[in-house]
Parts: sequence; C-alpha cells; structure tokens
Amino acid sequence: MNHILITEQRLNIPDMYNKVRDPSCGAISSFVGTTRDLFNDKPVVKLEYEAYIGMAEKALGDICKQLRSQWPLHHILMAHRLGSVPVGEESVAIFVSSVHRAESLAAVSAAIDALKASVPIWKKELYSDGSSNWKVNAECAWK
Amino acid sequence: MGCEVRVVFFAAAKELVGCREASLSVPSRLSFSELKDILLEKYEALKILESNFILAKNQEYLDFEGDALVVFKSGDELAVIPPISGG
Repeated sequence: MNHILITEQRLNIPDMYNKVRDPSCGAISSFVGTTRDLFNDKPVVKLEYEAYIGMAEKALGDICKQLRSQWPLHHILMAHRLGSVPVGEESVAIFVSSVHRAESLAAVSAAIDALKASVPIWKKELYSDGSSNWKVNAECAWK
Repeated sequence: MGCEVRVVFFAAAKELVGCREASLSVPSRLSFSELKDILLEKYEALKILESNFILAKNQEYLDFEGDALVVFKSGDELAVIPPISGG
C-alpha cells in the first residue's frame, strides 16, 4: 500500500513506522529529514515550507509508482510537513518495507532524490539575524 | 481564439507578484516560450527569476523546451513554479 501525507502537523514518526510494518517483510528502511541549526555557519531559526498541494500529492504518487516498477516493495510511506518547521524537527519522512533489505534501502534513497527533483514544494530558510532565503535543491533541473 | 486561465504563483514567484492567484487571457495554442513571454509581460516582477521557473498546466509540468506546443481551454490552471526545494 502507498501512504502519502502532506500536513501542517508535526510528523508522527512512530506512527509512520507502524504503517509500513508487515509480517511478510524482513526490512523497514527509512529517511527522515530535519531542520539543521546552521547554514554555512549562519544560525538558522526555522524553515518555512509551502506546496502546490494537489500536484505535490500526485508527484509523490508518481514516485511510488516508479519505485514499485524498480523493486518489489510492500508498503511505501512518503510524508512532508508544511508551514514552520523549527530546528531539530522533521520536515520529510520516507518509510519503505520489503521482504529483504536491499530493495527497501535502495528505494528510500531513490525516493528522496526523486522528491527533491520533482515534487513542487518550497522552503524558505529563516536566520537568527532576521534575514531569509528561498532554497533551491541541487536536484532541481530548472535552477 | 483566446481563453481565460487561472494563474497560481508559489514561493518566490508569489512574493514577487504579490498575490497567490490571478486570471489571465492566453491564446488557446502557443509555444512554451510565447507563453513565458506573455507571463513576463503581464507580471514584470517575475523577470528577476529569469529562466529559473517552469510552468505546470492542470498540475502537470509543461515541457520547457522553447518550441513545445501548449494548448489551453478556458478554466485551465497554470502554475508558475520557481526552483523547488522540498525535503
């Protein structure tokens, strides 16, 4: 099953882990992205995310399809938080379960790369000196 | 023949234009580069993004090669998509 979640709420990581558990699976792999406290030595206060919600949900669904065409996977969960995400909190979470570990490990890595390259979500970094900056992913093809 | 489409702006584009959405008259058939020119003429503030934005029609990315054909009907949603930064 695919679980796709875009939410203003804090991501509930244990709940996400439980959603992909399955008796037939020997592996659950995950990636969780969090707000880091420094950008090039500049103190960061928080990130602010926004999304083109309908299209972002579709794009996450397309990524699930791509992953399933490459590896035999059981459950896939892709979640992204919107709004303010303070330092130390989670903005993105990907959980994948599979019978053996190689498939879910590879799929998680491909999933975050694809998310950064194709899903219409934006973040602004806000610094402790009051300045801010719209970020650009290295994976984005039009920058 | 022209049609009325709903333009939606996000992130840096939304801040530059100063609104989240607007309506715009566009020809029903035109190239990607012609469409971009119409947007830049109407929303001059977007020029600061130069070529660093792409467009989506009804939540699908448009082919951003300059001579790709874009076909509109009234009521379509056109999104201005600056470089993305999810994750």
